[in-house]
Amino acid sequence: MTARALEKRFGDVRAVNGVDVTVAPGERVGFLGPNGAGKTTTLLMLLGAITPDRGTIEICGHRLPRGRSKAMEKVGFAAGYLPLPERLRVREALGIFAGWYGVSDERGAVDAALERFAVPHLADRLCNELSSGQRTLVGIAKAILHRPKLLVLDEPTASLDPDVAQRVRAGLLDVCATDGTALLVTSHDMREVEILAERVVFLAHGRVVADDTPAGIAASFGHDDLEGVFLSLAGSAQEEI
Amino acid sequence: MNPRRIATVVRRHIYVLRRSPHRFFDLTVWPLLDVLLFGSLGAYVAQQGGTKAGAPYLLAGILMFHVLYQIQIAICTGFMEETWSRNLLNVMTTPVTEGEYIAGVGVFGLAKLVVAMVVLALIAFGFFGFDLTSVGWGLIPVAALLMVSGWAIGLTVIGLMLRYGQSAEILAWGINFLVMALSGVFNPVESIPAILQPLSRVLPTTHAFNALRDMLDGKPLPLGEIAIGLVSAIACAGAAMWFATRMLRTFRRRGFVTRFS
Repeated sequence: MTARALEKRFGDVRAVNGVDVTVAPGERVGFLGPNGAGKTTTLLMLLGAITPDRGTIEICGHRLPRGRSKAMEKVGFAAGYLPLPERLRVREALGIFAGWYGVSDERGAVDAALERFAVPHLADRLCNELSSGQRTLVGIAKAILHRPKLLVLDEPTASLDPDVAQRVRAGLLDVCATDGTALLVTSHDMREVEILAERVVFLAHGRVVADDTPAGIAASFGHDDLEGVFLSLAGSAQEEI
Repeated sequence: MNPRRIATVVRRHIYVLRRSPHRFFDLTVWPLLDVLLFGSLGAYVAQQGGTKAGAPYLLAGILMFHVLYQIQIAICTGFMEETWSRNLLNVMTTPVTEGEYIAGVGVFGLAKLVVAMVVLALIAFGFFGFDLTSVGWGLIPVAALLMVSGWAIGLTVIGLMLRYGQSAEILAWGINFLVMALSGVFNPVESIPAILQPLSRVLPTTHAFNALRDMLDGKPLPLGEIAIGLVSAIACAGAAMWFATRMLRTFRRRGFVTRFS
């Protein structure tokens, strides 16, 4: 995925200001920044849900917005804040998404995805009766149903218990290793990003302020880890507010 | 257009309908109430010596109004289901295109229409001895005009919801009654206040109901009315598609998807 010079303004607020993001095949990239840095806006532009004011986005050879449908066949998306369709059983909901993604063996894909995150017992539960942790796991299972080339996750482990978050991370690393899936993930848990990401893109005030390995970024900002970098960037953002 | 994705949209809404008994209100209770209300009103007026405003005119009018209503409500509630369950972003990040989604809810709406019309026709026949099929094959072009009009209104309301958010949902139900009043569902255009008549005459629904009344009077299908209605319906559908597309562009440009997620 290659995004170049993305810009987005909402009224007087410049949410994204010339962001470049690339994710190579099989690469795991963390997308970080303080609240209001423009992470979610950028992700939604990459997914075709928001149109950028300027810039270009190409996913697996398909240029957005014209090639959005073709591009999304290769992309899986899940977000910690996003619920699943109400009044549907988990198996039904995942079957619907499998149908939309063009998966040939819907039932097999649903079973495999639930198995991968150790939640096959949830298959016959109603989506609206799941706990937030279960919902997150099923949401990620939804995102990998079609074995996407790129998995985009927005705060996948937000509000999860540590053991469930660990299970999510282990499952994601397994998906990436086994299927060669690339990963673009946002998180406020810096330790999680250090585990999941080979490379980190740091965003502040709608701009990319660093793009390197987690260790490389920490060193360039004079900190021991990403937590320190995050706190110093968040602090400067707070001062501006 | 990918047929499998369209069929999956239909399947998604079948699941929802199956688990939401209250959704059958539109398909059963509302038609029952309408037939009872307008059938009884027509019967009473006829007993008082009325002629033209008898039960058949009111019943045929309300039955065919439901063609418009059911089609339009199915499209709007199909979209609203995704907003109510905050599933819109999930849908928008799949390969499903806007056209496929609308086609899916359109097909689902046709199925709901068949169920609703069977319910309406049976109730009208059972309670008032009114047989809608006695009008003849001319009902088909009339129904077609009303279906296209329903799709046009549905798309317009979806466009407004994309632009103004869930506060515009009220229009999904309310706008039908505006169309009902202006289209002369039970009465000729001449009985509508003069200032509103020009507006009535440009609506495709007005010509559909004019044609229906002519046939109830025993006249042949008025091809002129159908032709004018068809031109108007195509124009309305084109305008509605243009409007909804434009609103979708605004929706994406202004990031309104976050309202629903």
